[in-house]
Amino acid sequence: MGMTSNLAVLTEDLTKFYGQRRGIESLTLQVGAGEVMGFLGPNGAGKTTTIRLLLDFLRPTSGRATVLGLDPRRDKAALHRQIGYLPGELAFPGRETAEDLLRFFGDARGGVAWSQVTGLAERLDLDLSRPVRAMSKGNKQKVGLVQAFMHRPALLILDEPTSGLDPLMQQEFLAMVRDARDAGQTVFMSSHVLAEVQQTADRVAIIRDGRLAAVERVESLGKRAIRTVEIHFDDPVDPAEFGVLPGVSEVTVSGPVLRCTVSGRLDPLIKAAARHEVVDVLSTEPDLEETFLSFYYHSEGAGDASRAGA
Amino acid sequence: MLPALVRKTWRDDRRAVFGWAAGVALFTVIYTSFYSQFQGAAELKQEALPKEMLDFLGIADMLSPAGYLQATIFSLIGPLLVLMCAITLTARTIARPEEEGGMELLLANPLSRTAFAGQRLAAAGAAITLVAAVPLMLLMIIVPRVGMDIPLSNVAAAGVGLIALAWCFTGVAFLAGAASGRRGTVLTITGVLAVTTYMAKAIAGMSDGWHWLRWLSPFHYFIGTDPLHTGWHPVELLTLVAVGAVAALVGVLMFDRRDVGV
Repeated sequence: MGMTSNLAVLTEDLTKFYGQRRGIESLTLQVGAGEVMGFLGPNGAGKTTTIRLLLDFLRPTSGRATVLGLDPRRDKAALHRQIGYLPGELAFPGRETAEDLLRFFGDARGGVAWSQVTGLAERLDLDLSRPVRAMSKGNKQKVGLVQAFMHRPALLILDEPTSGLDPLMQQEFLAMVRDARDAGQTVFMSSHVLAEVQQTADRVAIIRDGRLAAVERVESLGKRAIRTVEIHFDDPVDPAEFGVLPGVSEVTVSGPVLRCTVSGRLDPLIKAAARHEVVDVLSTEPDLEETFLSFYYHSEGAGDASRAGA
Repeated sequence: MLPALVRKTWRDDRRAVFGWAAGVALFTVIYTSFYSQFQGAAELKQEALPKEMLDFLGIADMLSPAGYLQATIFSLIGPLLVLMCAITLTARTIARPEEEGGMELLLANPLSRTAFAGQRLAAAGAAITLVAAVPLMLLMIIVPRVGMDIPLSNVAAAGVGLIALAWCFTGVAFLAGAASGRRGTVLTITGVLAVTTYMAKAIAGMSDGWHWLRWLSPFHYFIGTDPLHTGWHPVELLTLVAVGAVAALVGVLMFDRRDVGV
C-alpha cells in the first residue's frame, strides 16, 4: 500500500470502452483522504462512467482503481459499507415511504442510528412519511442525499448532487459537505456546474472527452479567469498594438472603442492603454462558469466535448 | 434475522405474490371443489373432443378422479399460471430494476455481486415456491373432502412436481435476466422455451417416431411420469431441480462478471 494509504481514491490509467464507444481513457487521478474534490466536465465527458467504475458497477477495459485502499471488485462488500453513493440518475426500488426505504438502507448497511436519518431529513426539510414514488424531483434528491450521508461513510461519491434542489437546499447541501469534511470524510462530487463545486471543493478535476484535462486547486481558478474588456479612447487606436500583449486575444476595434478578452492579469493591457487618452474602461465580471470551463473544454481539440453527447 | 435485501425484495413483490397465490388458489378450488358437478361436463368434454386433442392436452381420461385432476389442474392451466408467476417474479430480481434504474441503489448495498444475486434469487424463489405450492396444499385438503379416490401420496407427488417445474423455469429465467439485464429477454427466452418444450412433450406423446422428444421437455419430468397414478418419481423431480439449480448458478456467475446498468 505505502503511498496509497492516505488516498481515498486512486485511479491508474483507468480506461473504459463500451464496445467502440469511448467511456474514459487513461484516467489517472488521486483524491486524498479527507479532501473534497469536485469532478467537473460537460455531459458525456465520462464523469458517471468513472464513478460507476469506482463502485464496481462497471469493469474497466484496462487500468485499475483503488478505493479506500481496497479493490472495488474483490472487496465490494467491505468497501460499500464505507461509501455513501448518490446516483446521477436517481431511481428508487419499490413503492415504499421514504421512512421504510431509508430503514432498508440502514439495515442493509448493518444498522444506522435513526436519529441520524431524522436529523438529515430535518435539515433538508424532507417529509419521511410520504411514498418516494409520489415525490417531486427535488424531494427524491433529498431522499438520495439522506441515504448517502446517513451512515457517515468514509467516502461520499455524489453524482450531480444538487440537481433538482432549490437554491436554499443547495446551500444546505453545501453545508452538509463542509460538515462531512470537518468530520474527516472524503467527498468526491461530480458536477457540470463550477459554482457549486467552487464553494466547497479543495480541488477540482476536469474531465473532457473521457480524459483528465486538469486538476487545479480551487483558489487558483480565479486567476485563470478570462474577462471581456471594453476600452473607450479619445481617438481611434491600432488593434495590432493590443493584439500582441500577453493574455490578450479577440481584439476588435471600431473607431475609438476597443474590445478584447483577457486571460489572467489585466496589467499588460492597462499599461498599454495608458499610453492613450482613456475615456472609459468596462470589464465584465469574470464568469467562471463559462470562461474557465471553455478554457479547458475548447483549448485543445476545440468543441468536440460539446459534441460528445450523453 | 433474514438479510435486509431479502425482506426488501419480498416487500416489493408482496402484492404480486398475493395476487398470483390468490389466482392459483381460486383456480384450484373452483375446479376441484365442484368435482361431482363437473363430472357430467367432463363426460361431455371427453366425448366432444377428438382423441388426438385430448392427447395433445395431456388428458388421458377425464372420468377417473386422477384423470380429472390431471386434466384440470396439472395438464395446462395450472402449470401455465405457476410458470407465468415464476417468470415475471424472476424478471424482477435483476432485469427490471436494471431497466428501470433502481438497480444502482440496490447494488450499492454492502454485498458482493454473488451475494446480491443469490439473495435476490432466494427471495424470489421462496415467493415462487409459495405460489407453486398452493395447489399442493389445497389439494391435500380438498381431495379427501370431495371424495376423489386418489392416494394422497400421489397427489403430493404431483403437487411437488409442479414446484419442481417452477424451480426449473425460475432457474432458466434467472439466467436470462442475470446475463442480459433485460426484462424482454427474460420473458421471450423463458416463454418460448416453455411453449416449445410443452409442444415437444405433446408431440412425443402422439407419435412413436418422436417419442424421444419427451426427454427434452421439463413437462415430461413433471407430469409425463403420471404421478397421480404411479406416485413418486424422485429421479425425474431431481432432474428438474438440477436443471434449475445449474441455470441459476450460471446466472449468478455471469452476473458477477458483467457490467451492470449500461
